[in-house]
Amino acid sequence: MNAFERVSAFLSHKEADRVPVYPILCGINRKLVGASYPVWSTDAETCANGFLKTLEEFPDLDCLVTLIDLSVECDAWGQKIIFPENEAAHPDYDNQVVQDIEDYAKIQKVDYRNSKRMMMHIDVIRRLAAKVKGKVPIVAFVFGPLGTLSMLRNQQDMYMDLYDDPDAVKEATWHVAETLSDYVGALCDAGADAIMWDTLFASGSIMSKAMWKDMEAEPMAMLAKTVRDHGCMNMVHNCGQKIYFDVQIEAIDPVAISFLFPPDDCADYAECKRKYGDKVALIGCVTPANAVIGTDEEWDKQCTDQIDAMAPGGGFMLATGCEYPANATFDRARRMIEIAKTYGAYQK
Amino acid sequence: MDLHQISLKLQAGKAKDVKALVQQAIDEGVPAHEILEKGLVAGMNVIGEKFKNNEVFVPEVLVAARAMNMGASLLKPLLAAEGVKATGKVCIGTVKGDLHDIGKNLVKMMLEGKGLEVIDLGTDVAPETFINTARDEHCQLICCSALLTTTMGAMADVVEAAKDAGIRDQVKIMVGGAPVTEAFCKQIGADAYTPDAATAAEVAVQLCSK
Repeated sequence: MNAFERVSAFLSHKEADRVPVYPILCGINRKLVGASYPVWSTDAETCANGFLKTLEEFPDLDCLVTLIDLSVECDAWGQKIIFPENEAAHPDYDNQVVQDIEDYAKIQKVDYRNSKRMMMHIDVIRRLAAKVKGKVPIVAFVFGPLGTLSMLRNQQDMYMDLYDDPDAVKEATWHVAETLSDYVGALCDAGADAIMWDTLFASGSIMSKAMWKDMEAEPMAMLAKTVRDHGCMNMVHNCGQKIYFDVQIEAIDPVAISFLFPPDDCADYAECKRKYGDKVALIGCVTPANAVIGTDEEWDKQCTDQIDAMAPGGGFMLATGCEYPANATFDRARRMIEIAKTYGAYQK
Repeated sequence: MDLHQISLKLQAGKAKDVKALVQQAIDEGVPAHEILEKGLVAGMNVIGEKFKNNEVFVPEVLVAARAMNMGASLLKPLLAAEGVKATGKVCIGTVKGDLHDIGKNLVKMMLEGKGLEVIDLGTDVAPETFINTARDEHCQLICCSALLTTTMGAMADVVEAAKDAGIRDQVKIMVGGAPVTEAFCKQIGADAYTPDAATAAEVAVQLCSK
């Protein structure tokens, strides 16, 4: 089986030859092409080459997820972004587009084609598709509308704005979503097989289920439809604690969810598999920080525990629950891949 | 007046109402420490417990803390005049190289809600800043926050800096943040890790009373 066939079986909730694997290798890829973080995250050729080089180095990887950083989308509204040498880019927190609650009115639908960072991401997808389309699934990572809005404000103030003027936040969220709709359409047209939505706020780490439904469920439903209309699949990524599988499945109907902690209505991963395993494919859930702390044996055990809990019957991809640390070594990613190939073999 | 009303308004995040009720209580001659304990701290205790139990979430904690601060600003000079001292002194910051502050701010709010005096060092805080502040301000506790796996290692630098400065036996060090675990806390020789802001405040009170 090649990666595409393996992931197709995974998405069909069938057992493939083995558990598919993807330790969310993104920013770390820059090391393989000798690029700094700023270059890797702004130059499409370098970024795409980083992903392709990673595939060369680890040919058993089963997909590519283009998580560049969480400030790609906010660039479209002119947010000033800082590009540290060895860290992911982030908004300039001292100079945010939405400085005050009245500033939400400034957030209107914009033309994504004027955003260098969005266009760069589309170019990355196009370059990856030119090389691996049909062999390795290409998953474009996109921050959801409320997340994008939080990068234009800042999370803390936005949370309080949700109390002080929820309608202003909601209206701005819709304008962001309309922009993202055109953007993800372009990502799909460029060759992405799926869009992985980061729905950071649909989690007990942050806001109530009712608040998420009120603020982001409808825009996400609209965006998910856009993706399906372009012949692509929706996936969800959320590394918060107690994430809301139920309302996200209802709104987005994703084919897979990438997560770190069991959802709010499940005590553990095994219960998650029992409750949601027939509704959505599961991706996760190894703690990425463990790539830089603890022993190899502890890392290995977490990988095998995940396989034990969620792999039987198919519909499970072994992965880190969030991005693999960008400044770690590749050693533990390599171990995870080996574990998927050996311990994760369905046909032993 | 019924100080429970202050607690209820605080829990609802009604900052203006809390300020007005605190002023009313002051005007009625209620001692400041009583308004603080039975109104503001009581309200934040309820919020902290509900936060821990996933009954309220980050936005609710933030608006409650904002309401607390509005009320506390009126009480501060009166508490000083009454000679009321904080139950402990803490310095808190996000470690070197990390600019994320919402987790740190939540912990700070919860600490203040427990009646602790908190020195907020902000983000991207160098180990020597933690140590100098703890020594010069006589803090019993240093709280270090990190959101990134790339910056959590700086917490170990704070522990080492405390040893180098010869104050490790005088100050406790707590660590927290999304990538931080109990195992990591032990590995670097910190004193405590807590998974959420409400528990952090409870543990901080215990550590400050030792």
